[in-house]
Amino acid sequence: MMDKQGRSLSETVWTRLDRKAGAITELTVRQLRHRISTWVVLGVGLLMILMLSALYVDAVRDGFEPIDNDGDSRDWDGDGYPLGQERKYGTSDWNPEQYPGSGSYVQDGYIGWADEIRTHSGNHTWDYVTGIFSPIWIDESYRGDRWSQILDLDSVSNCDQEEPSEFMDTWSVGWGQACEFDNGDYAFQEIRFRGEGTLTVPRSQTAGWGHMTDVFYVEEEPASNYIDEDDLDWNGNALEYQGFDDDGDCLRDGWNIGPEFDFWFDKDDNRNGRDCDVIYVLGSDGETVINIIADENVDEDPDDEKLLGESNHRGFIVAVGKIAFIMILSIFLPLFLALGLVRDETENGTLHYLLSKPIHRGEFITYRILGYLLISGSFVLLLSLIMASVTSLLGPGDSIIRFGDIVVWIGIAFATILALTAYGALFNTLGLISSRYGVYIALVIGIYEFVMAVMTLSGATLVPVLSISHWTLQLVDSIVLIVWDDTLFMDMMSTAFGYDTILGFFWSPPAHTLGTENPYVSAIISVIVLVLITTSMIFFAQSLFKRREIM
Amino acid sequence: MTTESNTPAVVIDHCSKWYGNVIGINDISLAIDGGVTGILGPNGAGKSTLFKLLMGRLKPSSGSIRLFGVDPWESTSPYRRIGYVSETEKMYDWMTGHDFVSTLARLHGMTREEASSRAEHVMDFVGLADVQHKEIGKYSKGMRQRVKIAHALVHDPDLIVLDEPLHGCDPIARTSIMSVIRDLGEQGKTVLVSSHILDEIERITEQIVILHNGRLLALGNLHAIRDLLDKHPHRILIRTDHPRALASAFVNSKPVYGVRFSEEGALEILTNDLSEAHSILPEVIVKSGIKIHSIENPDDNLESLLKYLVGGDS
Repeated sequence: MMDKQGRSLSETVWTRLDRKAGAITELTVRQLRHRISTWVVLGVGLLMILMLSALYVDAVRDGFEPIDNDGDSRDWDGDGYPLGQERKYGTSDWNPEQYPGSGSYVQDGYIGWADEIRTHSGNHTWDYVTGIFSPIWIDESYRGDRWSQILDLDSVSNCDQEEPSEFMDTWSVGWGQACEFDNGDYAFQEIRFRGEGTLTVPRSQTAGWGHMTDVFYVEEEPASNYIDEDDLDWNGNALEYQGFDDDGDCLRDGWNIGPEFDFWFDKDDNRNGRDCDVIYVLGSDGETVINIIADENVDEDPDDEKLLGESNHRGFIVAVGKIAFIMILSIFLPLFLALGLVRDETENGTLHYLLSKPIHRGEFITYRILGYLLISGSFVLLLSLIMASVTSLLGPGDSIIRFGDIVVWIGIAFATILALTAYGALFNTLGLISSRYGVYIALVIGIYEFVMAVMTLSGATLVPVLSISHWTLQLVDSIVLIVWDDTLFMDMMSTAFGYDTILGFFWSPPAHTLGTENPYVSAIISVIVLVLITTSMIFFAQSLFKRREIM
Repeated sequence: MTTESNTPAVVIDHCSKWYGNVIGINDISLAIDGGVTGILGPNGAGKSTLFKLLMGRLKPSSGSIRLFGVDPWESTSPYRRIGYVSETEKMYDWMTGHDFVSTLARLHGMTREEASSRAEHVMDFVGLADVQHKEIGKYSKGMRQRVKIAHALVHDPDLIVLDEPLHGCDPIARTSIMSVIRDLGEQGKTVLVSSHILDEIERITEQIVILHNGRLLALGNLHAIRDLLDKHPHRILIRTDHPRALASAFVNSKPVYGVRFSEEGALEILTNDLSEAHSILPEVIVKSGIKIHSIENPDDNLESLLKYLVGGDS
């Protein structure tokens, strides 16, 4: 069977509905496109996003030079070996004479402060000597300064006393200094030197002697070996022991140092009975890490790119998503684009053309909102893709494109579009309720939603439940956690270490998970709430409009 | 689709509409099916209210309205067979005429292609084929009115409702719109067209409904009503430089029972038979050899018709 226009009955009611939907939707899109205010609003939105992406390039990415958190990449004495490398060999990074392979002093004997025998003769390297030395020979090439406590023969002055015996009573040489008597003897205080002769140590003073080990060549390590060299290690379970001494400066296996350097070092100074690990201290809820107590030199130089860089990167995405997309765009776009969807047609009188067609008024509202969504939604999607291309290309990490970023941005766009739908349905209904005062009510609601969003950001989970923005923000939190499942850990780590990251401020774990703490649950709940708000608003508008007499 | 034999296109049954205390229409009963019907009445008589009730914009305060047997307030299904030209002047000025018509055609469930070819067809029918791809904003008043008619015709409806379609149009547009409406009537459509100008309706149709103060005053053939009117005192106003000379020429003419000089340079002829008076008018004037400027029928308008009908009523 065919009707007048030659259409067969096989064409279903649905395709007819579909055509009507297409026509109204298309009409709405074209109408909005012909309004200057639409372009102004969209232009402002685009400008905002471009400025934010510039901010990202300038502030967020620019600040990410890797940081040497424990300072062991520095070469303080300028001998070419960084502090970390000197530690392995037990040499001082304050003395250019001491460096890996430079040979180190090994003590052979000493005179204690209470020993009976207070003289010693021989050819030694003498260390920490306080006393009178009668030299046969002194190594003049063994030079240093006062800070290295090595005797500098050029700076030795004459002693005030003529005889060494006088000197023993009125000791007046400064720390690390020496003076010379007329007979060629020296008075030393806490001095290191090489030479042969006889040393006399006054009572209550000490001196040691020994020999230097052989000199060998050690290649200088680049400073970068000591930056971000001991990353944080976490197996996801705070109850187990954590942490690993990636760079070995706690375990000290294979270090070329004497036992005296090892003596004072405590590999278990967090006292949990396990060397070189980290304790995560949990809060009263038994889940949140509130403090991290590490054994010395464990996880002490984390990869800043990985923790701070990554969490600030994620924080930036969440901040822009929440503030620019959800708190600004999703409230302001519908204010300008959705309020008059049906109201303006009524006021212009052009509604008569549309309603004289076989289309239900309820359908009409739905298709109008669909048309508005097509414009605002594709705009938001476009903005999110702009942001995605910026952050996924410039973000931290080794991969050229961060695919996770793209997924999160699409998720943010999805959440924003849900918010656009809910606000659009709400504001359209307000325009229908009162064509004159609807805009003021909408403004008040817009401010209310903004305040609720701010409350949500600051952690409130009770009152803001009565807002659209709260659920949209939680949807973003959920999406972030679904895509980057270590976000919760990063947030905890930042809190525990006391870092103020952007992520910590703008992201919080989803609150409404029905006790499961599963981000999928909170995402689904958020979507359901938003869809319920939207549909109830549309139903309300439809029943309002259906019973309305149109003059 | 054709009207089923036993369901008239329009049935209005004891229908009233009040706006608060103000009466829009008052207890109107009417059945219309086939041909062009003029809805005649002065401004505020209730024509637009009646049309808005027909189009389901308003809900009757009492009584009922059926279009093809269906209540238009409750269901949109009659609109499949109805084209409506509202009195609104606003249109989507940024659209082309063709666009406007084809977009609205798609609301009838047509595909884009169907709608486009139908739009082309009806734009041609209303005489706008050559300007259909121009923006409506650039159209004259008469062209806009015709686009509105085209949109109402695009789905080939059985009932067409036109609210003051000639309002504000120039004479050429009027003529072409009138001929469009007459064509539709000849095609067997049911056409309702409202106007507050008797002359306009007369040129379109003989079948009229007269509304006054929300009431149905008269219903039937315009000429029958007019004949009634003709048999009652009527004035003909002749503008001439020599009214008194011309008056003497009429004194002995049969249908003329008196003359009056109501204003400078004008002669008023009083008659009981308007058509008879008009038939002798040319001969008398030619015979008298007096030059005249114009002949007017000041009583041949809706107001005097209504005055007569209302007076006859009471």
